[in-house]
Amino acid sequence: MIDMNHWCNQQLQSKQRIAIPIMTHPGIEMTGYRIIDAVQNGRIHAEAIRKISAVYPVAASTTMMDLTLEAEAFGCKIEFQPDEMPHILGRLVTNAEDVGNLKVPGLGLPRLQQFCEASKIAIAHLSDKPVFGGVVGPFSLASRLYDMSELMVACCTEPETVACLLEKCTEFILNYCQELKKIGCNGVIMAEPAAGLLSNEDCEVFSSTYVKRLVENLQDKGFLVILHNCGNHGNCTRAMLNTGAKVLHFGNSIDIVKTLEMCPEDILIMGNIDPVGIMKMKPAQEVRDCVSEVLRATSTFRNFILSTGCDLPTHVPLKNIDAFFDALRVYNQDVIIKEESLFLKNVLPQ
Amino acid sequence: MKMNYMADLLVKLSEAVELGKVDAKSPFPPQLRGMEGASELTARLLVSGYRPQQILEDALVPAMDRVGRMFSENKIYVPQMLMSAKAMGASMFQLKPFFTSGEIKTRGIFIIGTVKGDLHDIGKNLVAMMVEGSGWTVIDLGVDVHSARFIEKLQEHPGAVIGLSALLTTTMMNMKEIVVDIKDVMPGTKVLVGGAPVNQDFCMKIGADFYASDPQGVVGYLNQLTT
Repeated sequence: MIDMNHWCNQQLQSKQRIAIPIMTHPGIEMTGYRIIDAVQNGRIHAEAIRKISAVYPVAASTTMMDLTLEAEAFGCKIEFQPDEMPHILGRLVTNAEDVGNLKVPGLGLPRLQQFCEASKIAIAHLSDKPVFGGVVGPFSLASRLYDMSELMVACCTEPETVACLLEKCTEFILNYCQELKKIGCNGVIMAEPAAGLLSNEDCEVFSSTYVKRLVENLQDKGFLVILHNCGNHGNCTRAMLNTGAKVLHFGNSIDIVKTLEMCPEDILIMGNIDPVGIMKMKPAQEVRDCVSEVLRATSTFRNFILSTGCDLPTHVPLKNIDAFFDALRVYNQDVIIKEESLFLKNVLPQ
Repeated sequence: MKMNYMADLLVKLSEAVELGKVDAKSPFPPQLRGMEGASELTARLLVSGYRPQQILEDALVPAMDRVGRMFSENKIYVPQMLMSAKAMGASMFQLKPFFTSGEIKTRGIFIIGTVKGDLHDIGKNLVAMMVEGSGWTVIDLGVDVHSARFIEKLQEHPGAVIGLSALLTTTMMNMKEIVVDIKDVMPGTKVLVGGAPVNQDFCMKIGADFYASDPQGVVGYLNQLTT
């Protein structure tokens, strides 16, 4: 078992940077499969994760961020397309009575079992690196069951109904995360983007309260909770901090330096290269420049981990991913050179 | 006396819309619990003889303008904005017959839809309600909208402005096809694009006319077109 407290401390003490981009889609493409294969077959899913880990110097691996999986377990209808992430069709619950009658499902959904299987295989093959399971956050899951716009309105008009739904979502997510922990995952990356549409106060009430409970029940020496909120543009960082998650992951709409300034030094902060505007759409040299600039701007913060702001989409040019890691390599090389010259300056006679 | 009464009602209506007070039954916002909302206040203004066009221009448009600005400045968030939209919708429901009869003149027609393959509607809905609240007629084509549907509506309403929304990195790519198809059939049509993964670069690459990062940006652009 990897000691995740030790792993976090290692990152906090090192001047060198590690990178954990969220990038299962390039792995799927590199193995010749399609998204529809990976979201339904744990072996293919794991192969994509292994491929990424074999080709790129990722410091940890993540399973896919499929934000429909948990909703499907509750009973939502899902549409699958060959090269797109699955979509939810319609609403599962429409009023307080529906919410009251909603049963918290077990973990028997075949596709959910396939995601567990993907984690198992990835853990077995990547024993030297942490593997984080991708799960949805409570408010984001509730928005999929109730409809995003309707849930936002209900936060104002029916907060008790929303609270009841969030209790059920939290119970299910806890059960799923405990299963991932049992399998051997070193943590979860919990995607809570819908909470980014709320004020800090509302995010506290409708998201952080529940995420905090999950963190208290899950996070320990062997298991991290990485809270991802790419919807946050600076409006709810304090609410994210109050969850107690040891790692926070931010999207590209946030100012990462300002965020690092406002977060405690012992909380790891991940982010936030734009997955579409930069990674997918810019030429390799601009990717290299952008990553170098982020690394330079964050160089005084020991608690920063380089990542993408969200899941890389399909068809990101591989030369752009190469450029991302090349910028990291050059940065770390410079750190070593500076440390060596400082060492020599201190030990050699003037 | 009557003037003061109507001015007071107008201010109350404008506040009701800004704060998202739909009707007397609505529990939101807590500070206006039990008080009349946009629905009742609009009905009272109409009964008092206030012109529908003036209700739109003197109460609803300024209220939605304040809502848009507060949203852009992060003073309110999506839930509060949606409540304002609901309140405005309640008022517009009372005004609907006057739109149909032509007594209320709008600034133009805006056709909006989430592009094909994409089922997300929250961004589109926010834009639609802000544009409607600024005095435009909005035709909302819903989600998963193909080129043919946009063109069909555009042919029914020549000169309308088109708004395309996408939330997914995969579906934003479908915007290009729709822009090209629209411009092929009606070259002078203005097409706006927006959505989480969309940016100015992308807008230019696909030949769209304007990118807005928030609903207020769309309103600003549209209003520029009519002045």
